[in-house]
Amino acid sequence: MEGQNLTLENVSTIVAAIIVGTLARVWLLKEDYRQYPSYPNGYLIHIITGFVASALGAVAIPALMSKNFVAVTFLTLALQQFRDVRKMEKESLTDLENTEYTYRGTAYIDGIAKTFESRNYIAFVTAFFVSLTITIVPLNIWVNIIAGIIVGIAIVSYLKNFTKGKSIGDIAQVKEGKVEVKNSSLYVDGIFVSNLLGTDNAEKLFKEEGLAVVIYPNENHYRINLDNFGQRQAALFEATRALGNKRYNFTRKDYEQGRIVITLVPIKQDIDALIEVVKKCPLLESTKKSHSVMKTNLKGE
Amino acid sequence: MGREASMKPDYRIIAYVTREKERVITSNCLALYAESEEASKEMTVDIAKAMKADVVQITNGDYMIIRV
Repeated sequence: MEGQNLTLENVSTIVAAIIVGTLARVWLLKEDYRQYPSYPNGYLIHIITGFVASALGAVAIPALMSKNFVAVTFLTLALQQFRDVRKMEKESLTDLENTEYTYRGTAYIDGIAKTFESRNYIAFVTAFFVSLTITIVPLNIWVNIIAGIIVGIAIVSYLKNFTKGKSIGDIAQVKEGKVEVKNSSLYVDGIFVSNLLGTDNAEKLFKEEGLAVVIYPNENHYRINLDNFGQRQAALFEATRALGNKRYNFTRKDYEQGRIVITLVPIKQDIDALIEVVKKCPLLESTKKSHSVMKTNLKGE
Repeated sequence: MGREASMKPDYRIIAYVTREKERVITSNCLALYAESEEASKEMTVDIAKAMKADVVQITNGDYMIIRV
């Protein structure tokens, strides 16, 4: 490696790619209604891992250009690092399971962890293409850097759109449900939900403060996603997370019409917020399936 | 309610409160006899509060205190 000191062009390329890649990660690090990650340490962890991912993407092209092919093998490190990010998220959320109002559920945790992993790939890929653009555009270094930044923005926008998932509101109607307590059993819009309201206190509490929403799938086949326990648990989790939970939270599916009930006694009495949060609950990747693929005759006649 | 299928459900009957002496039989859980409706309600609520448990009223009028 003697005599292979970095040139100013290489340094500019790497630095520009790392900055664009890290900014891509920051852009995707949104704090939304789910309030996750909303704590400073969470931000810092993800920005730093995004920075490392960008650095790995940024140095790949300069390493190749200097005929340092062995150095490219460190890309395997990148894969390992991204997998660790997923593992870290999974472990951290699983550890919190017993302290929340209700369970996130393993399906939801898996979805969140995958999202964090894929966002690191986005930082990596962005930095890689910025670096590639700066290297191959045969113009002044500053023009190259600007071209690289434009390519970087285009790639992040595309990948952001590509990885964007759907939510319950996209495939179903969410409406307020009427809570009834009959003989210590809870019914929402006539659907039996639970018989755990055996005491007068419980009945009174649910009658006075219980809120419920009913999810009506737009198409019959969407029931496959919505009936999934992980999906219902995720919606229930988001509901309790957004409104708080005094006592009792239930989810129940109606086999006949495919309706799903989410009901709880919240701390904050806001039915509009409950409808909104259930609508915005992400559809889990693990439950997703393409209906058009199901129709395709893959085997032939 | 409940946990995912992958997680082992942990329903535990803590006590059974009845007004029929014949239904008080030995079992894993505590089976209590109450003389009046009022007494059975009181017992049920007290046990449920202490154990942070839920109460199910069975159609025959008995109470079951369970923990999910």
